[in-house]
Amino acid sequence: MNTDLVLQLALQGFLMGGVYGLIALGLSLIFGVMRVINFAHGEMMVFAMFLTITLLLFLGLDPYISLPICAAVMFGIGYLVQRVFVNRILDLPEAMQVLVLVGMGIIFENGTLMIWGGSDISPKTSLALSAIRLGSLTIDVPRLIAFVLAILITLIVMIFLKKTTTGKAIRAAADNRFGALIIGTNINRIYGICFGIGAACVGAAGTLLVPLMPAKATMGAPYTMISFVIVILGGMGSLIGALVGGLIIGVAESLGTVFLPSSMKQVVSFTIMVIILLFRPQGLFGGRG
Amino acid sequence: MENKKMEVSGINRRNFLKTSAALGAAATISGFPAVLRGAAPKEILIGSIQPVTGPLPDIGIAMQRGNKLAADEINARGGIKSMGGAKLKLLLGDCEAKEDVGRTVAERQIKEGAVCLVGPFLSGVAMAIATLAEQRNVPFVIDVAALDAITAKGYKNVFRCFAKTEFFMTSMARYLDLIIKEKKVTIKRIAVTNAGDAFGRGQGAAFIKYVKDKKLPFEIVEHIEYPLGVKDLSAEVAKLKAAKPDLLCPVARPGDAKLLIREMYKQRLELLGIISPGSPGWYEPEFVKDMDKLAYYVLDNVPWVNPKSPKFQEANARFEKLYPGKYLDTNSGYAYTGVLVIADALERAKSTDPAALREALRKTNFKDHPMVGGPVIFDEKGDNINAATAMVQVLPDPNMDDRVKVVLPKEAAQAPYVFPWKQLWERGA
Repeated sequence: MNTDLVLQLALQGFLMGGVYGLIALGLSLIFGVMRVINFAHGEMMVFAMFLTITLLLFLGLDPYISLPICAAVMFGIGYLVQRVFVNRILDLPEAMQVLVLVGMGIIFENGTLMIWGGSDISPKTSLALSAIRLGSLTIDVPRLIAFVLAILITLIVMIFLKKTTTGKAIRAAADNRFGALIIGTNINRIYGICFGIGAACVGAAGTLLVPLMPAKATMGAPYTMISFVIVILGGMGSLIGALVGGLIIGVAESLGTVFLPSSMKQVVSFTIMVIILLFRPQGLFGGRG
Repeated sequence: MENKKMEVSGINRRNFLKTSAALGAAATISGFPAVLRGAAPKEILIGSIQPVTGPLPDIGIAMQRGNKLAADEINARGGIKSMGGAKLKLLLGDCEAKEDVGRTVAERQIKEGAVCLVGPFLSGVAMAIATLAEQRNVPFVIDVAALDAITAKGYKNVFRCFAKTEFFMTSMARYLDLIIKEKKVTIKRIAVTNAGDAFGRGQGAAFIKYVKDKKLPFEIVEHIEYPLGVKDLSAEVAKLKAAKPDLLCPVARPGDAKLLIREMYKQRLELLGIISPGSPGWYEPEFVKDMDKLAYYVLDNVPWVNPKSPKFQEANARFEKLYPGKYLDTNSGYAYTGVLVIADALERAKSTDPAALREALRKTNFKDHPMVGGPVIFDEKGDNINAATAMVQVLPDPNMDDRVKVVLPKEAAQAPYVFPWKQLWERGA
């Protein structure tokens, strides 16, 4: 087997895995705190991608500059979605929660379609075509930046949850909702912030993907699926699990193309999910199972 | 007059009786006997089915616009004259690029009274509609869809204006041979990529089979298939690079064509060039605009508009005026041709009866179309024997809309072709 090729594929997968991790982080956080699965996750990411593209085309803002703006807008949207819709369904049976969140996904997807149309859009960005060559290896610069920023954002979110009062309140609410209420936590606000952070993470991931791939309104669903797989792999609600899970899935999918036809790429990630569910249903980093 | 009076005065018994009697008499004299004679309807419904949403909306929308361009033109010219100037009305349907949806939409259109169907760009969807059309005995004119298998069963209601895969491959081999001889280049190692839908898979496999069956002097060093709507081709391009091909022959779609080119740039895949055996992705306005210099020099073997035909110039002028920044290409051009062929058959059939329409379609000899190739004539299986392909190439031109040029065959060529190409990273993009 060609070692260069394997190394190249592993590297590309690893870098992509960082972004996968960031996408899954939002999902894991929302699940860990509110026990709802955000089925609109991928669609929210695509919405952020188009937001980034709009800022690029009309204001000339490079994705790396518009990243905080997009993350902030997505935080706002996430906060509103939680307060208006998700908050009302927290105590309902899971099947009902799924309906509402899948519905949200449909609204996001069709909203994106209505505003931006259905084409593949990939405008030029400053670094989209740059690459670093190390011997026979090629490192894709936008992918590298996406990886570094994704890890950075993950760390910031973790530190926020460990060190700040709001972060501690979020963790308290996740551990024991009733207890958090008793000590006077404004649980609705905390949930709203938490959903907002989840949306901001996935929004940032969307922005980081703009230089990497053409955006298309209907591309969201597979990303919801893949982040779901990652969260199961890493452990539901575990943030470090989301990151590690993302890296594993990224590398596995990329290396999978050496042995399998590309059209069967997804088989790899779903096989990993099935194996994890069979032998370690709580996930790699999941404590409570 | 009577009606107006009624509106003003309100309906009373006397007026009502008078009006009904008058209307009844009018109907008896003119209306009913006409209907009984089977004479001209005012409107002829045609079902247009294209993938307007789903993974290929650009193409679906362009094709629906092509269908409409033809219908509007016929109507502006006074409709179907042999049926008293009956107007064409398109029932616009969206197959979402899915076989089952395509079939359901076709079924609904037939129920709504479509006398003929046109569409649907995708070979898989075309197969699904073809079986239904045969069952329901409704003529189905395929504007674009290339897979040989669609017409192989010899359905009597299915007609295809577009070139079938076999035609693509014979002309691809001819053009390849010509390019190698004219440019004195050595091409030994070829890599093939294709999207994993019915057309992509069929077209990719047909090319490889053709190379092997005809013992062409090439080695297929890599064949990669990826799913339709793929969002990352970095691993695939890394594999291509490891295979060290001289030439890449991709069967792509708009999204993956962009991914492929960008990845090739970043990973510096060195090639003599890209020659597609025939696929979209490489000539649409979106590709030309987004990729700019990276779009240059890709050669694509596709049925194409004949830039020198007056029919094309006239139709394209209207198309560009209606949809600024867009132009008639292989897909919208054939979509336009498909409806013109139906109108021509209706004119000769003088009836919307399926048997008469089918008979008329079978005898089609339609010259007045904007595409490369001779008049549309269907063989016994319903394939257009004169569907031909051209080589098109994206060449530098200050005007984006004029960058896609026909370069072969020589008689339709707008510019000489460039081969080998300039490596992607040497273009200052």
